[in-house]
Amino acid sequence: MRLGMVIDLDRCIGCRSCAVACKAHNAQPPGTWWNRVFTPGSEEHQVAVGTNGHLQMNFLPVSCQMCDNAPCEKVCPAGATYTDERGVVLVDYERCIGCRYCIAACPYGVRQFNWEDPHQAKERVGYQEGYEYGYPGDYRDQDGRLVYTPNRPLGVVEKCTFCVQYTSKGEQPACVRACPSKARIFGDLDDPDSEVSRLIQERQAFRLKEELGTSPKVFYLPPTKPSR
Amino acid sequence: MEKRKIKLSRRQFLQAAAAAGVLAGTGGAMAFVRQTPARAAAGEPELKYVRTTCSPNCTGACGMKAIVENGQIKAIVQAADYPEPEYNPRGCLKGLSMLNLIYGPDRLKKPLVRSGQPGKGEFKEASWQEALDYSAGRLKEIADKYGPESIGVIFQVGGTGYVHKGAVIALATLAGWSLHHPYDQNGDLPMFWPMTFGVQTEELEPLEWLNSRYVAVFGSNILATRLPDAHFLVEARNRGAKLVVFDPNYSPTAGKADEWVQINPSSDAAVGLGLARVIIEEKLYDEDFLKTYTDFPLLVRLDNGKRLKAEEVKGLSKPDGVPSYREVYVAYNRQFLSVHPEKLELPLDVVLEGELEVELKDGQKVSVKPGFQLLRESLKEYTPDKVEKLAGIPQDKLVRLAREMAAAKPLHLVYGASNYQWYHGDLKGRALALIPVLTGNIGKSGAGISTYAGQYRVRLKVAQWWVPQGKKQNWLPWLYVLHGPTKNMKANWPKHGLKALITGWGNPFDQHNMANKLRQMVEKGELEFVATMDFQMTTSCQYSDVVLPAVSWYEKTELVGSPVHPYLQLQQQAIKPLYEGKPELWIARELARRLNPEFEKHFFPDLDAEAAAEKAIELMLRTGGPSVEGITLEQLKKGPVRVKSEVPGNRQIPFYEQIAHKKPFPPVSIPAKIEQTAQFVKSGRIEFYKDEDLMLQLGEALPVHKPPFEESEYALDPTVRDKYKFSYITRNAIYRVHSTHSNNVWMNELQDGKPRVWLNPQDAEEKGIKEGDWVEVYNNRGSLHAFAVLDPGAGRNVAVFEQGWWSRYLNGESFNSLTYPFIKPTHEIYFVPGMWAPNTAWNECLCDVRKAGDTK
Ligand code: SF4
Ligand code: SF4
Ligand code: SF4
Repeated sequence: MRLGMVIDLDRCIGCRSCAVACKAHNAQPPGTWWNRVFTPGSEEHQVAVGTNGHLQMNFLPVSCQMCDNAPCEKVCPAGATYTDERGVVLVDYERCIGCRYCIAACPYGVRQFNWEDPHQAKERVGYQEGYEYGYPGDYRDQDGRLVYTPNRPLGVVEKCTFCVQYTSKGEQPACVRACPSKARIFGDLDDPDSEVSRLIQERQAFRLKEELGTSPKVFYLPPTKPSR
Repeated sequence: MEKRKIKLSRRQFLQAAAAAGVLAGTGGAMAFVRQTPARAAAGEPELKYVRTTCSPNCTGACGMKAIVENGQIKAIVQAADYPEPEYNPRGCLKGLSMLNLIYGPDRLKKPLVRSGQPGKGEFKEASWQEALDYSAGRLKEIADKYGPESIGVIFQVGGTGYVHKGAVIALATLAGWSLHHPYDQNGDLPMFWPMTFGVQTEELEPLEWLNSRYVAVFGSNILATRLPDAHFLVEARNRGAKLVVFDPNYSPTAGKADEWVQINPSSDAAVGLGLARVIIEEKLYDEDFLKTYTDFPLLVRLDNGKRLKAEEVKGLSKPDGVPSYREVYVAYNRQFLSVHPEKLELPLDVVLEGELEVELKDGQKVSVKPGFQLLRESLKEYTPDKVEKLAGIPQDKLVRLAREMAAAKPLHLVYGASNYQWYHGDLKGRALALIPVLTGNIGKSGAGISTYAGQYRVRLKVAQWWVPQGKKQNWLPWLYVLHGPTKNMKANWPKHGLKALITGWGNPFDQHNMANKLRQMVEKGELEFVATMDFQMTTSCQYSDVVLPAVSWYEKTELVGSPVHPYLQLQQQAIKPLYEGKPELWIARELARRLNPEFEKHFFPDLDAEAAAEKAIELMLRTGGPSVEGITLEQLKKGPVRVKSEVPGNRQIPFYEQIAHKKPFPPVSIPAKIEQTAQFVKSGRIEFYKDEDLMLQLGEALPVHKPPFEESEYALDPTVRDKYKFSYITRNAIYRVHSTHSNNVWMNELQDGKPRVWLNPQDAEEKGIKEGDWVEVYNNRGSLHAFAVLDPGAGRNVAVFEQGWWSRYLNGESFNSLTYPFIKPTHEIYFVPGMWAPNTAWNECLCDVRKAGDTK
């Protein structure tokens, strides 16, 4: 099994619901976003690109691309970043030493660093005392590696895990469930009959910065209307 | 380092998943969605899923599940349990981050009573007992001194919560207070609907968009304002419908369209009339449809511009049994015919064109023409080259679009709020409605004209809960509060004006037209008492005398049924009320008891608030009429239930019965009685010719294009013609539902905490404004500061502000300090609350823009 995701940019309406669901379910502290949605070509989201009436506006959600050939994993001196048996690139929060080599190595800018204790960061928002959001349990892989915990320790790196706490149980990632446009499809790239495999076949899927050889498992379908 | 790999084959994986009870179908090769929570394995948190409904004032009504652990909502996921898979999942970024409001720092904890000067936001904490006693005492004093109608009640829109809003309305009804209908208060009432079809408003349900072959969107940004339904637009297009967006600005919706047609601001009527002219001149219209369903065959007297009545004509008479709110008019097919207003049956050889002479009872002979002939004549001037001048559409494009629209069936027009929230918004709607009507695209699947702004409608009869003992209610359109009474107003103006305000579910001190005027009314003591129910400390709370802490929609039991989404749903209590918050039904009941012990009886006094809410739901379901017949509370507890309609499959297709079964126009608009709305279209037909005196006087008997500002801004102050060249447009952002979520920490992170104003780059250059500059948008009424975004898709001479920001993010300014409460006289011809009433023209507002100083 190689888990992957297809994001249909024709269907994507740029609503950022996926980013917000990701943030909530994965208990990201203020300022941290594992998943972002951009308007390519524009600094500002949802601003047209072009001149003289020749305008366009497309949207691009970006989170960890789950590279098969992950530069972040290669540079990690502590073995904290690894690829699990389903092809998901994860960070063991107990092993991460906070050197941030991976942040420098990742060509997609999706890794985030806990500069501050997340409890403190959340406290600044002023939530009701004792309130904590996000999936409330820890998740350890079969080898006992801590790959999800609602409050990541100060000084570790974090990023999208394909919602390991959910997908390990056969549920969908939070962003996929949240997308009101059903633009995100999650599944097994090894299975030729899966919807992800089928869409990649049929719809001229592409990957970000393909030329780098990172071989991501997140595929994008072009933002043009599909030919019928 | 050695990695021990445990490989699970796909088969094994699926088996394991199925064994855990988590694999229940959504189709597709890998169905992952969990329908029932799995048994908690050792060390796994114990989660409870509570199905409820997100229902702020956006019409979304998205089914949600709160994931609850230890009495706290940890996250929110879409319920995705609508029977039609196309509707799953509904939801958006705001609904999914609601926990920031529920548990956020602005949450009200205890009742507050003002301690400082009015409007200064200084309070002392009080017990419920103290706050309620004080409020009831003040309200009694004011009612005794000025009359109960001097107390106004803002409750915002009913469909978002029938129980609790109903409770407040019921209290106002019992106490004789004035109610402000949200639909006209919010400027959402598109007046062309009652004028043309005799209804409040109608719309196709979004699932029906998939059946269209052509979708023409005028001034609606569905990709921002209807997030849960926007995908239907993309899908319709992918299924082969042509999607054309007419808008002065390039929007995300334009980004998904086959074609974006840039038009000048407020020129939609010219476009509509230009398209209609081509359709008529090229005979692309559906003649039988026009003869059967519209007023086009009805004859109009040329001497006085009035429709010819059967009772005036020699040899004709009014048939028996015609209700008094109807009128019998005349058509011609080699003889003059009385046209029965309750029967949509005319011989198909009636004439639509020409001029005739008719002898009246008194022997006088007058010339008459069919409405269609008059329309045709009045459209003569809207030639493609004139429309090009007015609207900026190239001539050949206009002609091509008209031909395309006439050829495509079903054709659906979306008539958006940015198009109609102008002084002459009604004329635009009447002009655009010509296109689907001329082409027979009404009452059919995937066809028609729809408005998707404003949660205006109640879906069931609510009188038993909202109107105790059928008592008469006082309704006062909000615009009069700001503008003052007018000579022609049909609503009752309270003798002493408005002296007190009770507000819930809204934030009028930021959000309403001329919010600054409302603030002054408090500061000057004109409004002697303001009580606000809310779960957060909004700007409006700051201007209140008493703040009553209510609860969010995750903390109470409620019934939801909004217009755009065809399901009836419950809000179920996911968590207990936080702090000392109380549901509004409880607050209304406590106030009722203090005002008059008799009043309390209506609110199930022996039950706690949740049980009372359930009783109210049962009462409304039992007495709600055909749309909810047979629907029970138990059913709703299990999941959403489709509202019933006359259309096969209970689909929501406006005027289906009128077209399929030839029932007269209008269908009922609940809660109005048919005699109230049928008077708008006395002929029982779709009316394009309006012969009320005022319509004739103003030259609006037929739809025409009138330029913006002439009868509004320039009439009010001629000097602004040269001073202010920009239109001030306030649109919705994806980050807020009006002002709800303005303080949502994540939403603000997504916007870098910056309120923004969108400008055309050329305009900005001329003003010396660069991207990110701090600019001021101002006129002689008010001003607003925001960061400039230079958008090549913005039209010329517009300043577009994304509305909804609380004042505290705007240096204390309200973005609604620039607007003005213009009242268009034709909106006062009749008065039915929220159906024919003057309403705010947000976009009819001139301004200028300049680079501001360094203060931020
Ligand atoms: S996207 Fe970045 S973080 Fe994710 S696997 Fe690739 S290199 Fe690593
Ligand atoms: S939730 Fe879906 S439609 Fe919205 S931005 Fe994310 S991928 Fe795009
Ligand atoms: S805010 Fe509106 S659109 Fe968003 S989830 Fe709630 S009801 Fe749906």
